[in-house]
Amino acid sequence: MLSRALISGQNARALMVLGSRATATSASNSSAVQTAEQNLPEFRRPVRGEPGKVRLGFIPEEWFQFFYKKTGVTGPYTFAFTLSTYLVSKEIYVMEHEYYNTLSLAIIWIAGVKFIGPKLAAALDKEIDEFEDSWNKGREFEKEYLAGAIETEKKLQWGMEGQEVLLQAKRENVALQLEADYRQRLFTAYTEVKKRLDFQAEKQNIERRIAQKNLVDWVVAKVRASITPDQEKQNIDKCISDLAGLARA
Amino acid sequence: MAFGDYPALYDPQKHGPYDPARYYGKQDIPLAQVKLGELGAWLGRREKTPSAVAGAFSRAFWRWQHKYVQPKRSGIAPFFQLVVGSSIVFYIFNYGRLTSHRNYKYH
Repeated sequence: MLSRALISGQNARALMVLGSRATATSASNSSAVQTAEQNLPEFRRPVRGEPGKVRLGFIPEEWFQFFYKKTGVTGPYTFAFTLSTYLVSKEIYVMEHEYYNTLSLAIIWIAGVKFIGPKLAAALDKEIDEFEDSWNKGREFEKEYLAGAIETEKKLQWGMEGQEVLLQAKRENVALQLEADYRQRLFTAYTEVKKRLDFQAEKQNIERRIAQKNLVDWVVAKVRASITPDQEKQNIDKCISDLAGLARA
Repeated sequence: MAFGDYPALYDPQKHGPYDPARYYGKQDIPLAQVKLGELGAWLGRREKTPSAVAGAFSRAFWRWQHKYVQPKRSGIAPFFQLVVGSSIVFYIFNYGRLTSHRNYKYH
């Protein structure tokens, strides 16, 4: 019951918001911070900059720039030299044993910076890059994966467009089949009607022929019946006389 | 305002993520741009409570950190700055004892 109450609806959303807020590292993935107040002039996000420029290993570049406007480029060095001359000559800066210790230390450090420095810097830079890459890799992979998913989705959508064309073709195919079937049926109806009409015509012809034949037979029979033996005799005589006449000729 | 709290004037909605190197009060003219005659008035406008002074030192420390220590490819400069600065500070601290090492009576 409790778990269902937690998972369902508003509570789940609130939990998700809470989780995302707890893990958010930048404004881009927490919508709660994206407000109109970001446009205020006081709203500033700290930016990690490049290291400040220095000269002689540690003196800020700004110190030299401060002198340039008043004294020209030799000013800061002249100032340093004259000030140190003053301090040393008045023994405000006392050259005790620590001074010589400092000199030897400075030589060692400068040599170290000049000879080991570049290699060490390269090695450390490489390590920094590797560290950053290791953090970025997952994100890059995620981006690539999502880009691939988008590509696949686009391809699928393209395939769906093909499906639409295919469907259209199928529809046309079905329409063609329907048309063919319709014409087939039309032809069947035509042939059937023609067959029946032919049958009727033939029947009539046959009836007429039979009737004619019967009439002819009847007339012939009547005529035969009407011939008497006398007439037959006369006829035969006539035939004989005709034959005799022909024989003579 | 107790220890470890944000400055009283800091408002996350208004100022964005907290930057320890930033002053969240009313902006005044930077000290480098103040004319000598206006220096008294400028100092008069400053807060002089212990917490304000501590805050100023803290902001200076964080500005130094952001500029020289925290950048991605920071060099050896902050180490030398620390060494030179502490040398000067401890020289001043020990000045009374160091003067006994002077080699010349007259300068």
